[in-house]
Amino acid sequence: MDFALSEEQELFRTAIRKYMNNLNGTEAARAVIDGKLDVVKSAASGLAEMGVTAIPVSEESDGLGLGALDLVPVFEETGRVLLPGSQLETLALAVPLLESFGTPAQKAARLPNVASGASTISVAWYEKGTSLFPNSFCCVAAKTENGYALTGTKTLVPVIGDPDVFITGAQTAEGKSLFLVKASDLSSVRTLSVVDETQQLAEVTFDAAPGELLGEPGNAADMLKHGLLHFNAALCSSMVGGMDELVKMTAEYAKIRVQFNQPIGRFQAIKHGIVNMKLDLETARSLSYYAAWAVETDAVDKVAAVHSARSFISKAYIKAAGDSIQIHGGIGFTEELDVQLFLKRARYYENYFGSVRDSRKATAHSLGWHSVPAKRDAVPVS
Amino acid sequence: MDFTFTEKEEKFRGELRGWLEVNLPKGWLQGDRKLPEDNEHYSKSLRDWQRTLYEGGWAAISWPKEYGGRDATLMEEIIYHQEMVRVKSPPLVNYIGIHMVAPTLMQMGTDAQKDEFIGKILTGEQVWSQGYSEPGAGSDLTALQTTAVKKDGKWVINGQKVWTSFAHLADRCFLLTKTSQSEKKHEGITVFLLDMDQEGVETRPIVQMDGHQEFNEVYLTDAIATDEDIVGEEGKGWAVLIALMLHERSGIAAQVFTLEQQFDSVIEMAKTIRVNGTPLIEDPFVEDGLADLHARINGAKLNYYRNITHTLKNGKPGAESSLDKLLVSELTKEVFDFAMTIQGHAGVLTHDDALFDGEMQRQYLASFGATIGGGTSEVQRNTIGERILGLPKDLGR
Repeated sequence: MDFALSEEQELFRTAIRKYMNNLNGTEAARAVIDGKLDVVKSAASGLAEMGVTAIPVSEESDGLGLGALDLVPVFEETGRVLLPGSQLETLALAVPLLESFGTPAQKAARLPNVASGASTISVAWYEKGTSLFPNSFCCVAAKTENGYALTGTKTLVPVIGDPDVFITGAQTAEGKSLFLVKASDLSSVRTLSVVDETQQLAEVTFDAAPGELLGEPGNAADMLKHGLLHFNAALCSSMVGGMDELVKMTAEYAKIRVQFNQPIGRFQAIKHGIVNMKLDLETARSLSYYAAWAVETDAVDKVAAVHSARSFISKAYIKAAGDSIQIHGGIGFTEELDVQLFLKRARYYENYFGSVRDSRKATAHSLGWHSVPAKRDAVPVS
Repeated sequence: MDFTFTEKEEKFRGELRGWLEVNLPKGWLQGDRKLPEDNEHYSKSLRDWQRTLYEGGWAAISWPKEYGGRDATLMEEIIYHQEMVRVKSPPLVNYIGIHMVAPTLMQMGTDAQKDEFIGKILTGEQVWSQGYSEPGAGSDLTALQTTAVKKDGKWVINGQKVWTSFAHLADRCFLLTKTSQSEKKHEGITVFLLDMDQEGVETRPIVQMDGHQEFNEVYLTDAIATDEDIVGEEGKGWAVLIALMLHERSGIAAQVFTLEQQFDSVIEMAKTIRVNGTPLIEDPFVEDGLADLHARINGAKLNYYRNITHTLKNGKPGAESSLDKLLVSELTKEVFDFAMTIQGHAGVLTHDDALFDGEMQRQYLASFGATIGGGTSEVQRNTIGERILGLPKDLGR
């Protein structure tokens, strides 16, 4: 039995945390709110210098060839300070998709740039009014002489840090398919208002944009489902980092804040509230470690492992942030404190590429609880 | 990270499994798991089971070999619990003797006490209870009222204990008393190894809300003990108590695996019970709730694994291990609460008239003890808040 991160992984955590401290915690996130987007790029290049961007990229593509567990400390520490950027989308979704389904030429063209930090890749999947796994796309890919031309509109597209490539889905004769599209080939980008102002989402339009087919046509949903296992494991780490910071800041506050001549942490109503946050945090951490392990080792229970973690942690993160605001009292309701930033981030991630309900459904089906196969919306069909 | 068991550990599991197949009571593995209802036969059958365990070398695997144990490793203890839960083995009637009293005596007892008691605890000849709680002192053990006063060279004990597990079946009691009043609440406590077979000790079973009688009130009226019955030093019982509590390390393992098994039985019910012609699990509300519980139970088990890892690496559990009891007991309540809810109107029935032979109703009622016994959830939360999060102590302490 050895259920812990390795010494190297913990050492790497220390290095990342030191760098985050140098960035002054949530200062980068707050800078984005003030429209100072330069911080996103400079933080991203800082992480690249530390080798973070090379972690999941295979050695043949100039990466370090490490696994999902090696990303755990990275995303816990970036999640702790709500670091804005598209590291999650690039390293935990685009890279696994490219590594698994990319042609040698696609890998050679994209992955070394990701490993060096020169390129970030985001995902343009949703369309207006559709689900994570729609039966079909409105966005269509027409065959041309030397590839495909994509036409349509995607929404809820993460664009912070100016990704230069998007992985997107479009309808082909064979069904829903995945494509790579260059950011420079988009015909328009309209930024959307987001509750979590440290993030940026956009509606992007393709007008016969050149698209490079990724994987087999007609397999978009299955490929995305595979990629999302990696993504959700990493997302869980990020949320655990946020929860950890919430517990820490709330406990500290309860020790110094005096009411009725007592530090409020002495009152059971407050104390037990923080303990409940701590209970959820430790459960979240265990589930997220196991999810990353299951993805890294391709364990038989990886779907249940990842989706159990995702559904539990999404809810627990929101609750921890909400309870923290309550325990902070009036000051917790203000913009001055960071707690509200964590609440908005937790809410931002709640339905990010899948909902709590989706994850619970996936858990139930993967554990074989149902005698009948899942309906169309539970398991994607082409 | 590594979740596999070593070859040696798997061999240990195989050996235990093979032994259980031959030695469990007749019909047990096939599902005939009824124990006698009346105290006398119940007690006898459980003592017989412990005798069988002892003869097979499985009664106290964590004890040192010199006392008749196996010097089992922590991983072997975990495997032991997994296997015992898997076959739903009969309860260990002398749980308190084996897991708490004897290890404490090995550490702090006199040679005479070791000679007198350890062997009898192992064989099941002597069953033990522990006299902690009192009507006015539940989780707060420093508020004891039971007194022991020295008179003519003997200790005369008066007071009342409550929630005393197994006392109606026990021969001896690990008894907490006050032998002097002190400003400091942790002082003046003395632990006696009380002989329960005497006139001054009266045991009255307490009927729990689930119909069981595991607990008792114990009335002590001029009960007698001697200096030889004191564990550790007179007045220094608090240290003995702490030592004893540290010996309870494997209790959580059994609870974690039992919870997992109980949840499996709820899943089984949801898959097999049909409402309006479809299995319960096809109801999205049921599916959603069970998937949520699955995540949290899995999380509780993984927390436990993380703490085992900490123990294996550092020789002792991390501070976080105190979270385990709280999580597991709260989840036990939630699992059966949900199991009741999803049964709909039929959930009001019980015993053989109920779905699944009333298993969920039985467990639901029993589950209310989980968050009270062994320290209430509130006391656990205080401990975690103060010891792990460093929050200030409760008022009045």
